[in-house]
Amino acid sequence: MDCCGGTTEHDEDCDDVKVKDSIDAKTVEAAKALESENYSAGFTTDIEMDMAPKGLSEDTIRYISAAKNEPEWLLEWRLKAYERWLTMEEPSWAMVRYPKIDYQAYYYFAAPKAGAKYASIDDVPKEILETYEKLGIPLREAEVLLGVEGAVETAAEAREKPRVAVDAVFDSVSVATTFRKELQKAGVIFMSISEAVHEYPELVKKYLGTVVPQSDNFFATLNSAVFSDGTFVYIPKGVRCPMELSTYFRMNAENTGQFERTLIIADEAAYVSYLEGCTAPMRDENQLHAAVVELVALDDAEIKYSTVQNWWPGDEDGKGGIFNFVTKRGDCRGDRSKISWTQVETGSAVTWKYPSCILRGDDSVGEFYSIAVTNGRQQADTGTKMIHLGKRTKSRIISKGISAGKSDNTYRGLVSVNRKAEKARNFTQCDSLLIGDRCGAHTIPYVENRCASAQLEHEATTTKLSEDQLFYARQRGIAEEDAVALLVNGFVRDVLQHLPMEFAVEAQSLLKVSLEGSVG
Amino acid sequence: MTTALRDFIKNPTTAELELVARYAMQPEDGRRERAFLAFAETGLPHRRMEAWKWSDFKAALKALETPASASANDPVPHDGALVFRFAPTGFEQPKTLPEGVRILTQPTTQALSGAEDVPLGALAAALAGGGARPSTMVIEITSSDLPRLHFVFDGAGEASFARIIFLVRSGVSLTMTESYLGGAGFTAALLEFNLEDAARLNRTIYQRGGTDEALAVTGLINLAANSAAVQTTLAFGAKVARMETRAVHQGSGAKLTLNAAYLSGKGLHADITTHVRHGAPGCVTRQLTKGAVLDGGTGVFQGKFFVPRKTGQHTDADMQHQALLLEDGAVVFAKPELEIYADDVECAHGNTCGALDDAQMFYLRQRGIPETQARAMLTEAFIAEALSTADDSVRDVLLAEAQNWLSS
Repeated sequence: MDCCGGTTEHDEDCDDVKVKDSIDAKTVEAAKALESENYSAGFTTDIEMDMAPKGLSEDTIRYISAAKNEPEWLLEWRLKAYERWLTMEEPSWAMVRYPKIDYQAYYYFAAPKAGAKYASIDDVPKEILETYEKLGIPLREAEVLLGVEGAVETAAEAREKPRVAVDAVFDSVSVATTFRKELQKAGVIFMSISEAVHEYPELVKKYLGTVVPQSDNFFATLNSAVFSDGTFVYIPKGVRCPMELSTYFRMNAENTGQFERTLIIADEAAYVSYLEGCTAPMRDENQLHAAVVELVALDDAEIKYSTVQNWWPGDEDGKGGIFNFVTKRGDCRGDRSKISWTQVETGSAVTWKYPSCILRGDDSVGEFYSIAVTNGRQQADTGTKMIHLGKRTKSRIISKGISAGKSDNTYRGLVSVNRKAEKARNFTQCDSLLIGDRCGAHTIPYVENRCASAQLEHEATTTKLSEDQLFYARQRGIAEEDAVALLVNGFVRDVLQHLPMEFAVEAQSLLKVSLEGSVG
Repeated sequence: MTTALRDFIKNPTTAELELVARYAMQPEDGRRERAFLAFAETGLPHRRMEAWKWSDFKAALKALETPASASANDPVPHDGALVFRFAPTGFEQPKTLPEGVRILTQPTTQALSGAEDVPLGALAAALAGGGARPSTMVIEITSSDLPRLHFVFDGAGEASFARIIFLVRSGVSLTMTESYLGGAGFTAALLEFNLEDAARLNRTIYQRGGTDEALAVTGLINLAANSAAVQTTLAFGAKVARMETRAVHQGSGAKLTLNAAYLSGKGLHADITTHVRHGAPGCVTRQLTKGAVLDGGTGVFQGKFFVPRKTGQHTDADMQHQALLLEDGAVVFAKPELEIYADDVECAHGNTCGALDDAQMFYLRQRGIPETQARAMLTEAFIAEALSTADDSVRDVLLAEAQNWLSS
């Protein structure tokens, strides 16, 4: 049936969405490629699992803690968080709607039966290896990646390419962490947080919960109580981490929640680039993902944190999909430190996520670059917070939202300048694009300025900087619209192209998008 | 009834109990009750409510008390205007009215739709009236050939409430001004404008208040097809002052201009809040808000453009907020928000916040202009743009008031 040529003015079931002419065809194509029917990571892995009893109680927490053989202080820490969580209410201010979550209907811990960590590649269950292979993680170089002796020579080819060390988290546990030995030579600690609790308890104790406190918000508090695994990274003074680090999160078991906790510390003058990727099987039930990421950058340190989030978004009618309720925060604790968040968000049924920077050190810098694409019935409420506390702190926010299908995409951001943050600077730019007339795009930027010498700009084309740049481009014969595209979009594209995206095909295709014809 | 209401507001403050008592003295009226219940649902708005997070009336207004400061003088000329005066206990209006303006002072309250969205507007609807004051003043405008209508809110007292409804008939233009001059501990005014097809409105608001006064002015503007409204506000703030406008484009081709300037000094808080619903195709909104804040002052700007699916197509809307923090200790909060469900629209928003340009200051100073004067000149030039839409009869007055503030 030619549904769009029919006489009815608007047919709700019509599949072909009329897209206005000014929108770039490649953008529409790129967004379409991300529809749930094209979700390639939706398979399940059949493997025997050890599960905690269903539901959440003090016993569940004791079970998790015991399964991981944790020290007493950590159990106490978890129980304290749980006690606090019981008194908290689920937040409702975000522009997302979802059925009430039954926190007793989930399994809070699921680990492959064969054990959590494997001494050599041979011990990693075949199913898990195959899973990662299928997801495009280069596991044929698995021997190298897993750091097994004798394998180094066979992968000389691989070494010529930039290498990435991977921490693979499968449901609630880290199953493999690669390149550990080589990283150790540089003094870099890269391991699962469960191991770090045993091997570097002092470091963990010193930093855990100092950026995102136990009682920070409902989901972070839940995470503090039940977090299962995650990655721990420590880059010592003056070390530039010799390779990209990454964590690949895979949710597999049914009715489980994933609650990982990542802690990255860059000591003075250290540098690290870290990438996380996430996928999950297609299931009809909603699954909960409530992670916490804490970053600490000391004097002159820099952390670049990139996310390619592609959790199962649910089918086109909104059935199933991941609830992605994540708390990510970086603390620029030292002077001249820098934290940069880059995110490509294409998955999850509901996203509630605001990677933030606390710019505490003088001259510290925070950056947030985001592309969020929603399709089907996805809902994303995402953005950032830049809290300027130190003098001459700078932040930059670039956010691009693309909504298609019947989805809603919200940018929510806060720029807050403390009265002592002399000469703080912020630049914010957010664009949204609607593909079709059944979706929504929303922008909610909050600005709180308490410092007279701070300079904050939100999409202000009147600033001197952009005027000069525009003039420069225009006097060379570039049309105004093209010039703006060059200056703004070109910049973002540039940033994305520098992302370590070896295994993120979906992100590559996003580079095709243009924000021409944006609504606001 | 009163007891039930007392129970309805959770942990009522002294001020809220006094408001309940005032309501109990009003004649019984279903519409009035509905308006009061809409207010009672939240009580005085407070910082835990998203729309009021930066303007906390519950905290600012502990009790209804006559403030120490007297009303300010009205700079807006009264000569040649039809002047209406609302005081906490009194009310005055012109003895005779020219043809083309008709006033219906109704004994009963008019229904207020969407009262839950404007709690202090609902409160004004519930408490307006008593004594000589009309419960609801309905003004019908049928001629464009009228003198300016001027509404003054002043006089000493604990609290003052007013509700005015304008019906501007098809093709007719109305020019009106309002002066909020302080004097009452709490003032809540609700003004509703219904513009019929191709009607025109030019509304200019001047506001001044003391450091122990609370003020909430709620304006509701409905625009029919091809109508146009221009609103210009100059606000100096009070302990807490909220100038809120909610406009709805109901017919295609409507055009709305919402300009405002706030100048906020020590102990004063000026809040400019707007919500525009683009409920018909092809409507245009232009919004410019400028602010300058001194040590100890607070400026708030909250703007929202709502563009519904289908009916909002071809909306052309632009929202700009620019604020200057002139001294350390100044505070500015802003939230320029867009909620868009239609794909073929253009909604721009911009927001800047900062100090005066050092280079410009240097330029003036090296020409021998003292710092204070240079600062005033630059700030005036910055603010003036937002006031340029005011009616000819008051534009210079507003500029002069801004100048006085800047150079004092």
